Amino acid sequence: MMALSPMNITMLGVVGLLGVGLYGLLATRNLIKMVAVLQILVKAAVIALVLAGRVSGRINLSQSLAATVIVADTVVAVIGLALAVRVRQRFGSLDLKDLSSLKG
Amino acid sequence: MAGILILLTIGLPWIGGVLVWIAGWKRLAFRNTVQLQNSLAVIFSAVAGVASLVLIGFATSETVIRIPMGAYFGDLTFIPNGMGVFLAAVAAVIGSLAVIFSIDYMRGDPEPGRYYFMVLFFIGAMAGLVLSGSLLFMFVFWEITALCSYGLISYYNDDPKAVAGGIKALIITQLGGVGLLAMALFAYAYFGSYEINVFLAKAGSLPVVPLSVLAFGMLAAAAAKSAQVPFHTWLPDAMEAPTPVSALIHAATMVNAGIYVLARFYPAFAPVPYWKLTVITVGVVSVVLAALMAMVATDLKRVLAYSTISQLGYMVYAVGVGGIFASQVHLFSHAVFKALLFLGAGAVIHALETREMGQMGRSRADLPFVRVVFIIGALALAGIPILGGFWSKELVLEAGLSDGPRWAYLLALFAVGLTACYTFRMVWLVFFAKSTVQSDHAPHDAPLAMRTALAPLAFGALTTWLLAGPFSQLLSSTMPAQPIEPETTLEICLSILRAPATWLALLVIAAGLAAWWGRERLTWLTKRLSWLADWAAAGFGFETLNRWIVERVRGAAGDLAILQTGQLNWNLVGTVAGLLAVLAWLAWVIY
Repeated sequence: MMALSPMNITMLGVVGLLGVGLYGLLATRNLIKMVAVLQILVKAAVIALVLAGRVSGRINLSQSLAATVIVADTVVAVIGLALAVRVRQRFGSLDLKDLSSLKG
Repeated sequence: MAGILILLTIGLPWIGGVLVWIAGWKRLAFRNTVQLQNSLAVIFSAVAGVASLVLIGFATSETVIRIPMGAYFGDLTFIPNGMGVFLAAVAAVIGSLAVIFSIDYMRGDPEPGRYYFMVLFFIGAMAGLVLSGSLLFMFVFWEITALCSYGLISYYNDDPKAVAGGIKALIITQLGGVGLLAMALFAYAYFGSYEINVFLAKAGSLPVVPLSVLAFGMLAAAAAKSAQVPFHTWLPDAMEAPTPVSALIHAATMVNAGIYVLARFYPAFAPVPYWKLTVITVGVVSVVLAALMAMVATDLKRVLAYSTISQLGYMVYAVGVGGIFASQVHLFSHAVFKALLFLGAGAVIHALETREMGQMGRSRADLPFVRVVFIIGALALAGIPILGGFWSKELVLEAGLSDGPRWAYLLALFAVGLTACYTFRMVWLVFFAKSTVQSDHAPHDAPLAMRTALAPLAFGALTTWLLAGPFSQLLSSTMPAQPIEPETTLEICLSILRAPATWLALLVIAAGLAAWWGRERLTWLTKRLSWLADWAAAGFGFETLNRWIVERVRGAAGDLAILQTGQLNWNLVGTVAGLLAVLAWLAWVIY
């Protein structure tokens, strides 16, 4: 049995968020939900970064990286939502199944 | 001083290119846009040509410019050694002549801005390629030249043949570019530096396997760029480009880049087992196959393209047998007389509006000035004394006789006769044959700008061999790693005239000429060889090979298309899974 140290709890949190995110990526059919799922995945990555900084002792580096990721991720979310709005206007639907015009 | 001249040679054409482009903007609405663009292009390329000629006086083996580009890219350095300054001068001077020629040739073209921009961008990049002292930036300039070549082959982009030819050239020369990039990265991995001088000095300390990979990778790169077998198929298709471009890029400069890197890195790669033999084989096979294809081609520009492949093959062969100086002299004289031939062909095509030699002839191609300069170029190509091509070709053959296998020498000697034969066939068909097609409009002889470009080249084809002596001294003093002896022109000429190989070659040239004059008596032979002619006309099967590869790639792409489900879920999961796989691999490698 693994001891429930703060480190391990954080680690479990990262793995859990990753799992939720990956499941969501496969299961979601709504474009807006997809943006939310991506947010969950990235939050897992941010926590992992902070954790890695704690482990390696370079917390300054990891915090600045985490801040950078948060900023970049916000941009991704905004663009994703804007695309969703355009998709809704153009196709009249947010269902991913209706958006497969790239099928080879 | 040398630094300023280098920057002028590279920078002026680039600045000029941008200005020409800007001058074409409709919003600016100059009173005479085309005239302004012509003048800008000519002035900038001509000043760059003068700068490059002055630069020859400042040749040195030292690095003269060093611009730090950050830890991972090394320094952008320039070394104006003998080979570099001379090739830069060829690019800038022939480049400015091609630009002058274009004033007449491109008259009435709707987009001269795009055309001149790419030509000028090419001139600067070519100078950068040969003057660069860093492998990485050499690769960058190398790719810029490939890009300009692509853009200019596909210049008439509503013609599907031009578009296809451009893409073919781009793909094949990219294959070569990968070899050069691999070489730069290898050098960085082993020596921690991209500098060519460091590479040449330390290459001997590399283990045999990486050195062989580099040597053969670079040979493939050079063969792709210089259109050598089996990568030669792009050059004939590149003839869809405007003719001044064919003269500049596909005869006089860019295709020489392969010869340049072979000669430059020869000291590092010569000890690699079988490398020299492979170089010789590639060169000689290209010489013979391309000469045979030139014998049967009917399109004037394609004949010239095949003859370019063949002459480049002589240079590759010369490098393979260790005749670095011979290869460079042949490169020089070939650049001059082939640019002359192409520009002359451009004047003929411009006047007659056809490229098929069957539609030319005595009464149609009645262009006295063009005929004279074209024949001067043709005599140089055939290797008739005392024109430039004679001396340089004899130097190559002499180098081949003193070193390298005997069969290669015999094949190269045989192709000298073929060269004379197809050259005279070409001249005969263009200017002297009986015209089969009648046309009502009388052709006009070359206008002023064309004459201005053709005359110096014709003079050069007659006289460039006089520079061989100073050239050898320049090369030997600034390129200590290369096996080049300083000699005077007189010594070089005397040694050529004394060599029995020369007289043998002249005999073969005479036989080639006689074969063309007496072609009616040789019908028994040509009938026997008709299978060879058919095979040569079909490109010796290399086209089929190309098509097969393209079909295979297309087929594979079609089969892989099922992976494109079009489902966003799968695409995102694939992205994340790929990222995780890379991370896992890195973790596994590091720990």
